[in-house]
Amino acid sequence: MPEFTDLLFYGFAGLALFFGFLCVANPLSRSPVTSAMFLVLTIVSLAGLFILLHAFFLAAIQVLVYAGAVMVLFLFVIMLLDLKEEERRRFRRFTVGVGVVAVGVIAGLLLQTVLKAVPYSQTSTVLAVGATRPLGIILFTQYLLPFELLSLLLLVAMVGVILLTKKELK
Amino acid sequence: MNYSLLTVEILTALLGLGVLLLDLWIPATSRKLLGIIAATGLGVLLVYAIGSAAPGDGTAFGGMFVVDALSGYAKGFFLVAGLIVLLLSIDSADTIHGYAEYCALILFALTGMLFAASANDFVLMFVALELITVTFYILVSFQRNRLSSLEAGVKYLILGALASGFMVFGIALIFGSANTTNFYEISTAQTALIKSPVFLTGILLTLVGLGFKIAAFPFQIWAPDVYQGAPALTTSFLATGSKAAGFVLLARVAFEAVPELTAARGHLFLGIGSITILYGSLCAIPQRSVKRLMGYSSIANAGYLLLGFGAASLAGGSAVLAYLGGYIFTVLAAFIGIQVVVSHQESDDISAFAGLARRSPWMAASLTVGLVSLAGIPPLAGFFGKLMILKAVAVQVGTSPMVILSLLVAVLGVVVGLYYYLGVLRSVYWPRSVSDLSPIPVSGTTKLALIFAVLGTVLIGVLPETTYQGARQAVAGLATPKSPATPASPPSATTQAAK
Repeated sequence: MPEFTDLLFYGFAGLALFFGFLCVANPLSRSPVTSAMFLVLTIVSLAGLFILLHAFFLAAIQVLVYAGAVMVLFLFVIMLLDLKEEERRRFRRFTVGVGVVAVGVIAGLLLQTVLKAVPYSQTSTVLAVGATRPLGIILFTQYLLPFELLSLLLLVAMVGVILLTKKELK
Repeated sequence: MNYSLLTVEILTALLGLGVLLLDLWIPATSRKLLGIIAATGLGVLLVYAIGSAAPGDGTAFGGMFVVDALSGYAKGFFLVAGLIVLLLSIDSADTIHGYAEYCALILFALTGMLFAASANDFVLMFVALELITVTFYILVSFQRNRLSSLEAGVKYLILGALASGFMVFGIALIFGSANTTNFYEISTAQTALIKSPVFLTGILLTLVGLGFKIAAFPFQIWAPDVYQGAPALTTSFLATGSKAAGFVLLARVAFEAVPELTAARGHLFLGIGSITILYGSLCAIPQRSVKRLMGYSSIANAGYLLLGFGAASLAGGSAVLAYLGGYIFTVLAAFIGIQVVVSHQESDDISAFAGLARRSPWMAASLTVGLVSLAGIPPLAGFFGKLMILKAVAVQVGTSPMVILSLLVAVLGVVVGLYYYLGVLRSVYWPRSVSDLSPIPVSGTTKLALIFAVLGTVLIGVLPETTYQGARQAVAGLATPKSPATPASPPSATTQAAK
C-alpha cells in the first residue's frame, strides 16, 4: 500500500507531464495563449512537487513569480506581437532536429544523475537549507546589505517605468 | 556593526531621494535649482570622502562591505565623475523632460558605483552592478521622443540582461564549488579551488558579466550603438563611472579573490586586451559621428586596461588604476565639449564641430585636452597611463610570446588613435568648410565642470606621482587579509602594510 505522499507525488508529476505536453503539442488548439495557460498549470503542478520536498519557500516563489509575474509578461508579449503567422506554421525540419538534440542531451544528463543518485535518507538533511526559516535568517543577517540595496534598485526601476511610460511629459 | 563606514554611500542615496522629493516643491520655472542642490551636495560629500578616506579602514556586514585603499581611491574618482556630470546637466535642466528624476538617477547610479567599489562579496558585487546597469537602462533611453535614444536603451537592456544572466549563473557555480561568495574566504581556499573546473567556469562566466560592463571583446558590440544613441550627458557618465566600476570590480576579483589564477592565466587578459585594442582602433577610423567614435575609443581603452591585468603584477594593477583615474578626467573633458556642441547643434557629426575653435574657445580647449590625452600625447594623463601600462607589460617580455604581440598591438593602437582623434581636432581648428560661425554661449556651471576635468587631466599628466602612489597602495592593500573577524585597523598599520 503506497503512502499518501507517494500518491500525491505521482499525481503532481503526472499532471506536470500532462500539462507540459499540452503546452507544447496541444492537438485541439494551436493558440499561443492556450499554450501559455497550460504552462501556468505545469508550473503550479511543479510547485506541488516542491511542497512534497518541504521546499515551501521555493513553492511559493514558483507560484508568485513564475505563474504570476513571468506568465503575465509572457501573455503581454503574446498579445502585443501578432502571432497569427505562428499559429498556421507547421514544424520545420531544423526546429525538430534542434529539439530532438536538446531533449537527448537533457535526458542523458538526467539519466546520469539518476544513476549516480544516493538513496533519499542520506541527503534529506541538506534539504533544510532551502526552507523559509533558514533562508529568511540568512537573508537578514549575512546578506542584509545586498538585500537592502535591492530596495533602491526596485525604486530605480519604478521611477524608470513611470518616466518611460508617462503619457505627457512636462 | 560599523555603519560609519557606509556614510558616503548612505548620504549619496539620501541625496538622490531628496532631489526626487524636492521636485514636488520647486516650481517648474526654476528646475536648475535641483541640479545646483544635487551638485553642491555631492561636492560636500566629495570633500568629506577625501577628508575621511585615510582613517577607518575596515569591514562591515560580516566582511561583505570593505573600506580599504582601493575603495577610497575609486570612490574619489566616482564622486568627481558624478559631480562633473551633474554640473554639466544644469545647462540642460529646461530641455531634459523629468530633470529631477535625471539628477536622482545619476545619484542612484553613483550609489551603485560606490557600493561596487567596496563590494567584497560576489552577491554585493552583483547587486551593485545591477543598480548601476538598471539605472543606465533608463538614463540611456531618457530622451524618449528621440527614436535613437529608445533604440539604444532597448539594445542596452537586452544585452545587459543577457550579461547579468551569465554573471549570476557564474556566481551560482562559484558558490556551489567554494561554498562561499566572500572574496576573502575564496582567496584563502583558492589554491585548491582553481583546480576545480566548476569553479573556473564560474569565474569565467563572472568575467563575461564584467566584460560586458567594460566593453571588452567579445562583449563590446553594444558600446558604439549605445554611446551614439544615448543623450551625450548619459554617455559621458556611462563611459566613465560605469566602465570604471567594472574595472574596479575586475581588479578586486583578479587581485584579491583569485590572484593565483590571474598570475597563471595572465596571457588570457593579454590576448583579450590585444583583440579589444585592435577592434576599437580599427573600427574607429571611418566614423563620422563623434559619439560613436568615443564608443570605439572606449573599447580600445578597455583593451589597454586589460593589458595591465595581463601583467598580473603589482606594477600592472597599479598602472590599471592610475590609467583609470586619468581616463575618467580625460573622457569627461572630451565629453563636455561634445555635450555642448550636441545640445547646440542637435548633431554629433564631425562637421558639427567645424570651426569650434572660433565659435567657443572654451569648448575647443576642453575637447582638445580630452582628445589629445586620449591619443596618448605627453604631458597629459592619457600618456602617463599608457606609459605605465606598457612598462608593466614590457617587464614580462620573455615569459610568453603573447607579451611581445600585445605590445606591438598596443603601439599600433596608439598610432591609429593619433589618426582618428586628431581628425576631430582638425575639424575643430582647421575646418574644410564652415557654414556657421556664431559663437556658442557657455554657462558658468559648464565652465566649472570644464575646469575640474581639464585640471584633473593636466595635473595627473604633469604630476603622476601622487596618483600612481595612490593606485599602488590600493593594489597592495588588496593582498592584505580582510577577514570579517578583523576589527577596523588603524590607518598607520594599513599604510605600512602597503609599503
